[in-house]
Amino acid sequence: MKGQGVVQKKVCMLGGFAVGKTSLVKRFVTGQFSEKYHTTIGVKIDQKSQKVEDTDMLLVLWDVYGEDDFQKVRASYLQGSSGYLLVVDGTRIETVEVARQLHKLATQSMGSVPYVLVINKHDLQESWKIEPSMYEDLARNASVVLQSSAKTGEGVELAFAELARRMLKG
Amino acid sequence: MALPSRPSLTKSSSEVSPEDSQGFSYLRRLLLAPEQTELERLKGRLEHFRLQPQDVSRVLPDAIGLRAQQDTRLLTSMIPITQEALSLSIKQSPQLISDSIAPILGPAIRKAISHAMREMVQSLQQAVEDSMSWRGIQWRWEAFRTGKSFSEVVLLHTLRFRVEQVFLIHKKTGLLLNHVVAEGVSGQGEEVISGMLTAIQDFVRDSFGQKQDDALESLRIGDLTVWIEQGSGAILAGVIRGAPPLELREVFQETLETLHAQFSEHLQTFQGDAIPLKESRIHLEDCLQAQFESKTQGLPWAFWILLGLLMFGIGMWAFQAYEDQQRWSKLLERLDQEPGLVVMSIQEEGQLATFYGLRDPMAIPPEQILSDIGYSSQQVKFHLEPFMDLTPAFVQKRAMIQLRPPSSVIVGWEGTALVLAGEASHAWIQQAQLVGPLIPGVTHIQMGQLIDTDVRQFETLKSKLEGKKISFGRGESSLSKDQRSALPGIAEIIRAMDQVALVLDLTPRILIQGFTSPEGGKEINRSLSLLRAKTVLNELAIGPVRAINLQAVGKGPPSADEPVSPTGIGVSQDRQVNFHVVVESDRVTASRQ
Repeated sequence: MKGQGVVQKKVCMLGGFAVGKTSLVKRFVTGQFSEKYHTTIGVKIDQKSQKVEDTDMLLVLWDVYGEDDFQKVRASYLQGSSGYLLVVDGTRIETVEVARQLHKLATQSMGSVPYVLVINKHDLQESWKIEPSMYEDLARNASVVLQSSAKTGEGVELAFAELARRMLKG
Repeated sequence: MALPSRPSLTKSSSEVSPEDSQGFSYLRRLLLAPEQTELERLKGRLEHFRLQPQDVSRVLPDAIGLRAQQDTRLLTSMIPITQEALSLSIKQSPQLISDSIAPILGPAIRKAISHAMREMVQSLQQAVEDSMSWRGIQWRWEAFRTGKSFSEVVLLHTLRFRVEQVFLIHKKTGLLLNHVVAEGVSGQGEEVISGMLTAIQDFVRDSFGQKQDDALESLRIGDLTVWIEQGSGAILAGVIRGAPPLELREVFQETLETLHAQFSEHLQTFQGDAIPLKESRIHLEDCLQAQFESKTQGLPWAFWILLGLLMFGIGMWAFQAYEDQQRWSKLLERLDQEPGLVVMSIQEEGQLATFYGLRDPMAIPPEQILSDIGYSSQQVKFHLEPFMDLTPAFVQKRAMIQLRPPSSVIVGWEGTALVLAGEASHAWIQQAQLVGPLIPGVTHIQMGQLIDTDVRQFETLKSKLEGKKISFGRGESSLSKDQRSALPGIAEIIRAMDQVALVLDLTPRILIQGFTSPEGGKEINRSLSLLRAKTVLNELAIGPVRAINLQAVGKGPPSADEPVSPTGIGVSQDRQVNFHVVVESDRVTASRQ
């Protein structure tokens, strides 16, 4: 079994509809399952090995389907997570509020666990409509706040590496 | 009661007098004496601190437990010490270690062996059946046609069910705790599958479940079934090909219960490190069961034919071996009983047997024995040295060969003497007398019961001749017609006697004696009697004889001592001629023996 000898951690990707969670995961891992799982059961799972200092880690990424009016994130998918990526679309203000709600849901389901706040689509910075003050409350307890771009890869590795490091330290 | 020297508590320290100081000391002692003593004791202990073993022994177990929960440093530092201690212990008292691990090793080894044997027997049986049956041929064709491997086709057709993979999944996180696969099955992405299985369960429960405890128990796609067993801390999921029996569910449940009992604490405190649950693999492997098609439909026809041929072959071989054995025994028995043959040793090389021994030249040729029993000279050879067999049976046989007795003679053996009995010609008896003593093994010959047929014939002829007489009338010396007619018979007897006498090497004299009646003068009678005898001799016309000497004798009247007629002297019967044969007695006796 590949997982033996390494520390496994369940990580959830949380964020509103079309904020770029799946693209971030695709940047991070080589996917095994089709994305149609999203529309069937609302989650797609991937894995990624990560080394934190001397510890080998296996991140099991639960890419939970984006919250919108038609589909709600299933709280049961969040249970047992050791941390999560909270993704906001820098070009859409409404995704901050969705992120806020999801953060609340995550706190209820997982308790207080490390999370990384990712402001995605940094490659479209000219179209950004979000100011840091808008997500100040979310950034306060986050392990780190990063600007990322799934398109260019900016900040992706760092986001996962930082989350892994924080999860390992408990 | 008031204390006389009790100091005022309201005074400042700068205002304390020596009396007051004493008072304070007194008060301090009074109030704090026990604590003071204890402080002094602790102070002394700190100043002379030395760790006491009793103290360590009290806290050591808890300290180890606490440290082990914090990190793995204690564990890591103990590894080399433990390894060294174990190594030393094994060197010093191996028996102790052996006794300690025997209860674990024994069952484990037995289990491993029985598992391996079961797999081997199963695969062997399967291979025999599959390769020899009509069904097997069909499957080979199918494998050829579809491009699949033969074993894959066989598996598809004969498999009732097989547990191909077993996942042990942490219930809360959906993370994989352990995973085992059946031989030949490749597992891939089991951590992700583990997560997806958990997600699917959550999805189904959220979507259709009535209660929080409701859970997905089974998934089915094509020929694959996934059975899921729920535990309080972990989930066991088995991926099964084919149609599993319900009993398998019990196996899964029991395994999960065992794992919960054994790893309860680890399941509760699981933080992503599955190493403490590594040992769960043994239990999970118990779930990797498989069942193939029942063998009750019997063995394939080709197997029975092959078995039949094999049995027939064995039967033929056994029969042939029995026949060979019998024939061999017969040969040995025959050689053992055959006179004049002595087998001293036998050498066998492959299909050739060589007999070494002795053979009397007069014994039966060994090749004849071989052909009688059914051996060829390529199978059996003889190296026999000549020798003389002196056993009674063979001496008797040799006598028979050398004497060639007529059928009227019986050859016997008595002690060391060859016994001849019966009837034989004079010539054969003479030959036997000569040759007999020369036969090896014959010391002497007994012929007391052997009759010489030639002597007997001579005696018969003699009696016959001496019974003949020719009567004459008074004073007559010539023969009448009637008298003459008797002569040819007499002549024939005499000629026959001549022949036998020749064989017997005798020269008998036949006296033809003429007689007269007493009447008349003596001289006349003598002349008349001689005349009568000569007349008969002349009239007989015997012809030439080689052994017999014929002589006419005139006897005159018969004497009283030698009457020629039973009625006495003076009767007409006296006028006659008769015959008397004279043989030298020793010659006849010699002929008889």
